[in-house]
Amino acid sequence: MNRVSDQAFAIRASKGDVEAFGMLVEEHSGLVYRVALRILGVEDAKDASQEVWIRVWRNIKNFRGDSAFSTWLYRITVNTCLSVRRKQTRRKEREYGGEEMPYLPEPRGGDADPEAAALGAEQREEIQAALGHVRAEHRAALVLRHMEGLSYSEIAQILDVPEGTAKGWVSRGRAAMLVTLSEGKHGRDETGETTR
Amino acid sequence: MTPAGEQRWEVLERIGSYAAGELEDEEAREVEELLFERPRYRGLAESYARMLVMLATLGNEPVEAPEAVVGYAIRKAYFSAFLRSAEDFAGALGRSYLDAFVYYLGLRRESYGGGT
Repeated sequence: MNRVSDQAFAIRASKGDVEAFGMLVEEHSGLVYRVALRILGVEDAKDASQEVWIRVWRNIKNFRGDSAFSTWLYRITVNTCLSVRRKQTRRKEREYGGEEMPYLPEPRGGDADPEAAALGAEQREEIQAALGHVRAEHRAALVLRHMEGLSYSEIAQILDVPEGTAKGWVSRGRAAMLVTLSEGKHGRDETGETTR
Repeated sequence: MTPAGEQRWEVLERIGSYAAGELEDEEAREVEELLFERPRYRGLAESYARMLVMLATLGNEPVEAPEAVVGYAIRKAYFSAFLRSAEDFAGALGRSYLDAFVYYLGLRRESYGGGT
C-alpha cells in the first residue's frame, strides 16, 4: 500500500468504513507491533498493539491527512508505548560514572565477516535487554532513528518535540545503549536505566 | 554527575554522532583528530559502529504482528460501528416517537411548509 492509498483508506475509515480500517490494520499491524516490541519488549507488545488500534479507530475521524498516515500511526504507537511504560513501576535511573570508555568486542570472524552481520538469538536478546535500560523517551527516539530509519524531522513530528530535542534524545539513547551493552559483556547491574 | 563525568559523557555522545555520520564537516574533522590521538576513542567509535550495525540489522528483520492483534482490532471496530449505528437508529426512533407524542398532545400544530 502506498501513501496515496493509505490516505484514501484513512479518509474512508474516518467516515466509519470498517472495511477500509481493516485494510489499514492488515497493512500496518507489522509496523505497530515492531515498534511496540522494540520500545516495550515482548511481554507488553501485544497488549500495546491492541490498544494502539483501538486508539486509531477512536481518533481516525480527526485524521486530516496533513501528514502521512504512517507518521500519524507512528505517533499514536509511540505515545501508547510511552504511556504503558509510565504506568509501570518507574525504574531507578542510574548515572554513568564509568572511568573507562565503553567497548564492544569485535564479533567472531571480525567486522568484515558477513556471517557476523546476522544476529544470533543471544545477541537479539542482549540488544532488547539493553534497550530496556535506556530511558523511555530516548529509547523511542533511538528506535525510530536507528531501527526504523526515520529522519530527524519525522522523529520530531512523531514525538512532538523540536528537531534539536529529537537529536539530543537519539544521541543520549545511543550512548546509554552502548554503555549498557558493554557493561553486559562484563556483567550488568540490573538495577535500572542508564542515563546522563 | 561530576564535571569529569559530564565531559566523558559529552565525548561519548560526540563520538556516537560521528559514528552515525551525523556531524558537519568541521566537527567530524575534530573528532577524527581525537580518534587519531587516542586509541581508546578509536575503540569507542568502532564499538558504536558495531552497535549501529546490530540495531539496523535487527530493525530490518521482518516482524509480523500476532494474528490475534489484527483480528481483535477489526472485531472491535465492527462492534463499535454496530453500536454507533444502533445508537443512531435508537436516537432517530426516539425522536420520531417524541415528535408523534408532542403532536398527539396537541402541543405543536402540523405544518405543511411555509404556512404558520
